[in-house]
Amino acid sequence: MIVYILRRLFYVVPIALAVSAVCFALVYLGPVDPLKAVLPADASLELIEKLKVDYGFDKPVPVQFAKWVWRAAHGDLGLSLATGRPVREEIARAISNTFVLAFFACSFGFSLGIAFGFVAGYFNGTWIDRVVTGFAVTGVSVPHYWLGMVMVILFSVILNWLPAMGMGAGGSADWAWDWEHIRFVILPAITLSVIPTAILARTVRALVADILTREFVSALIAKGMNDRDVFRHVVKNAAPTALAVMGIQLGYLLGGSILVETVFSWPGTGFLLSVAIFQRDLPLLQGTILFLALFFVFLNLLVDVIQPFLDPRIRRT
Amino acid sequence: MSITLRALAAFGLAFACATAGAQSVLRIGMTAADIPATTSQPDSGFEGNRFTGITLFDGLTQWDLSSADKPSVIVPGLATEWAADAKDRTKWIFKLRKGAKFHDGSDVNADAIVFNFEKVLKKDAPHYDARLVAQTTPRMPTVTGARKIDDYTVEVQTSEPDSFVPINLSNLFIASPTAWAKTKSWAEFAKAPVGSGPWKFVRLVPRERLEMEKYAGYWDAKRVPKTDRVVLIPMPDSSTRVNALLSGQVDWIEAAPGDSIAQLKSRGMQITSNPYPHTWPWQFSFVPEHPTADVRVRQAMNLAIDRDAIVALLGGFAAPAKGAVPPGHPWWGNPKFDIKYDPAAARKLLAEAGYGPGKPVKVKVQISQSGSGQMLPLPMNELIQQQMKAVGIEIEFDVLVWEALFNNWRIGAKDPKSNGAHAINVSFATQDPFFAFARFYDSRMVSPRSVNWGWIQDPEFDKLVAASRSSFEAKERDAALGRLHARAVEQAAFLFVVHDTGPRALSPKVQGFVQAKNWFQDLTPISMK
Amino acid sequence: MSSSLSSTLVSAAPSARGYWTSVAVKLTRDKVALVCGSIIAALILMAIFAPWIAPEDPLKSSILNRLKPIGTPGHLLGTDELGRDMLSRLIFGARLSLLMGITPVLCALAIGSLLGVVAGFVGGPTNTAIMRTIDVFYAFPSVLLAVAISGALGAGIVNAIVSLTIVFIPPIARVAESVTTQVRGLDYVEAARASGAGSLTIIRVHILGNVMGPVFVYATGLLSVCMILAAGLSFLGLGTKPPLPEWGLMLNTLRTAIFQNPWVAALPGFMIFLVSFCCNLMADGLRSAMDVHR
Repeated sequence: MIVYILRRLFYVVPIALAVSAVCFALVYLGPVDPLKAVLPADASLELIEKLKVDYGFDKPVPVQFAKWVWRAAHGDLGLSLATGRPVREEIARAISNTFVLAFFACSFGFSLGIAFGFVAGYFNGTWIDRVVTGFAVTGVSVPHYWLGMVMVILFSVILNWLPAMGMGAGGSADWAWDWEHIRFVILPAITLSVIPTAILARTVRALVADILTREFVSALIAKGMNDRDVFRHVVKNAAPTALAVMGIQLGYLLGGSILVETVFSWPGTGFLLSVAIFQRDLPLLQGTILFLALFFVFLNLLVDVIQPFLDPRIRRT
Repeated sequence: MSITLRALAAFGLAFACATAGAQSVLRIGMTAADIPATTSQPDSGFEGNRFTGITLFDGLTQWDLSSADKPSVIVPGLATEWAADAKDRTKWIFKLRKGAKFHDGSDVNADAIVFNFEKVLKKDAPHYDARLVAQTTPRMPTVTGARKIDDYTVEVQTSEPDSFVPINLSNLFIASPTAWAKTKSWAEFAKAPVGSGPWKFVRLVPRERLEMEKYAGYWDAKRVPKTDRVVLIPMPDSSTRVNALLSGQVDWIEAAPGDSIAQLKSRGMQITSNPYPHTWPWQFSFVPEHPTADVRVRQAMNLAIDRDAIVALLGGFAAPAKGAVPPGHPWWGNPKFDIKYDPAAARKLLAEAGYGPGKPVKVKVQISQSGSGQMLPLPMNELIQQQMKAVGIEIEFDVLVWEALFNNWRIGAKDPKSNGAHAINVSFATQDPFFAFARFYDSRMVSPRSVNWGWIQDPEFDKLVAASRSSFEAKERDAALGRLHARAVEQAAFLFVVHDTGPRALSPKVQGFVQAKNWFQDLTPISMK
Repeated sequence: MSSSLSSTLVSAAPSARGYWTSVAVKLTRDKVALVCGSIIAALILMAIFAPWIAPEDPLKSSILNRLKPIGTPGHLLGTDELGRDMLSRLIFGARLSLLMGITPVLCALAIGSLLGVVAGFVGGPTNTAIMRTIDVFYAFPSVLLAVAISGALGAGIVNAIVSLTIVFIPPIARVAESVTTQVRGLDYVEAARASGAGSLTIIRVHILGNVMGPVFVYATGLLSVCMILAAGLSFLGLGTKPPLPEWGLMLNTLRTAIFQNPWVAALPGFMIFLVSFCCNLMADGLRSAMDVHR
């Protein structure tokens, strides 16, 4: 196992490099000038050529890539083309905002998911089970960006209960953990929580149903074990897999959701990425993607390492 | 007193205390995806100038934004008078206003002005910055430098005699050199910009909001803001903007989408609109092999479209065009070709040109799906296509993304990447003469210099452009531009379709807004109820 | 994911025909899966026969008839922002939406399984090379990767299908590789090898039978994700180009219509949801039918 972990860690660097190269290629493959982010609409071709030299875009692509890698290795992710601000700052800010959203989405999603899953698994096969499963399947089948739009119309525009967008009256810089600010995160968090809720509900349901039908549980009940102890038993057995799934879902949410953050103008990593992609803001795009890629590489590694402990039938060599 | 009454009283007292000390705040939802650059040369096009240009800064000259009925013209800003040297028209003398101060207390004097010219023109200056250059030099193509004559007089140099210079200089915003010198970096300056404009910088949360407050020491007492604070919030998505206004999160939104107007009105929002120097045209190719090289074809196309139907498509938020500028504008010039809906005359012209029922004109047009100022490109173009078919003109579209269309605009009709297009649909501002005319009709302005996309090589046009460039007296210059415009309309150099009227939606609390016929708007007379 | 997969593994030499027959039998008894399957089949038929079923030309626009509500005479489901008949556009939209939802999964299924089986069977450096390359793409969350690739290639149906295929190859390959690795080490496979069976035979007889089950189930589960992702790409302006009818694009262009006629704007979203929902339930049914423990 240790060898496996070490070997996987060994590959992180080449993977990171490959990810960055793919990203570089993606921007240059595109039909649009990499300087688009800086140029006003009325710039002439002459001016564009001149600026290319100023910004170093006239050098061959591999040279540009090499320079970027060298700087990134030293922690310098460069300056955003569009805003001139350091990429590191932008990412740090975006991540803390996404964290707030992910935190609420997960808290809400996990509690509901576990509750639903437990109930459905306990009443396995009855109509309760079917209803919950129906909800869960609905949850993963609904296009969540569309759901977000609908919720904004309903709760924001028509009922005027909750704000339509943004992170608070003062923006993200003013974020505080009080009602004034939390009411801004409610709609986006609910929208985002739908998928984790559904997935967790199905997972927990399957686990609980499976555990309850195992022979040793019936034996325990026959021996006179009371409900509370059975409950504890189920939890103990279901916990590891459930936790793994929760970890994965939290990981995905921490990566930021482009679509939901766009609908709600939530200034997180998803929003940052979509802006960077559409503006062809290469330094920002490279830096953000590199950071997120590394994050997910480690997350995948973590999941792959933990799984054999949960299910000994899976062996990793 | 009963509990309820006591509670009410307490609430009332608290409310009174709150409002007594409360500032009036105007919150604006912009279409830009990020706060326009606060470096003193905004990006995001004219919306940037509107919100982080004329607010925080002044230029030597500025646009008069006080009237909704009269065309908006250039008036003194930080300069009180200016004139080109009669003996050498490439040198201008600008006399500066005395007593104008930057927000940090330093004086606006000749040194400050020259500093700001150097930031985009003098390559070896420490304050020269490529990003500022990108935003500014396209708008003042002939300005080469400036030097101080005395504390309140500046000489501006140009590469050739160019009477447009005072208009162009309204785009050069004057930043405080003292503030820049603190960190010697424009990126740092942008985090706490200092100008001399009616609004003072308070706070910037990148990508989310910009807060400004009124500058009581502004040099023009008439334009000291009546609202205490303005907050700018980027909202590129149109439904998000509408939702934000309807739920009370903002008080003002730019570019309200046509479909939401009814809802907005029913909820008591004010909808303001006014034609402004924007035009939505097709730019024709004059390349000899192309069908559009024939003036009769171009004129016929202009007569073939029913502009009122297009205005109806846009919910009434457009004005039919009779040229690049409307009748009554100082540059109108009284062209002899009347642009209107006359399909019979169109068919006649096409017959003269050798086309007819068996031989339709085939025209290929490059269009975009979206884009700033492009309004609703697909429905509008499809409607035009239908109308042209009725007179025997078959239109084929080459649909591109906005940025690609722009690239093609720069490379010109002769470039193979233009796919043999005979026209291109790019909207533009007609606020200043270079933008409105010179860059299209001057034969030297072909790619890569500027956007004479259609390769117009006409000595008559060149003469008229040169004449307007060298008429230094304002009335003379306007007359010369009028003659240039008249020829453009008579030659049907463009398919002139409509002018945008810029619908904005404001909450009922917003009072005193005057929507000028300009891309820029003055936020200072606004008060909040 | 793997824990539920292992319950579908067969740990003894399977009688292939008997197993698949029992799967089919179980499926036909599962009412929910049958209903969902029929709905999907009906939608596919609707897509194929669209020109004959749809009442109007989905591209015919009439500016005067914009955003008419549901139930307008002549336009059963109303009209869109350019006055085009919604019912016709929804019917024709099924073509592109289903195409963009199903094709990437099928392609990824083929390519991913191939890569995974090869990697799992051959092992060693080949495995490392293939799997680590796949990890590079697996490092990106799907939405991000899809948007990034589409953003680079530009809008368009083919580009969107290519980008979605690339997005789904890694997870399928991983599943295939994981299963192949486990099966390769089983006793009867060792026995087959010892008795002189060639690699291709072993793959065909033992491995494919075991791999295709879990991979197929996994892929069916991916169908709904792909539908939603494809619509998401069009929603962002990166998939189908206007004026083609496609549900995701319609969601995008109808966004501002929500203020005038919310129900019309909700229709495309409902169609996407319907297909997703049915795919998910079918995948569930398939998984239950293939589970040997029940």
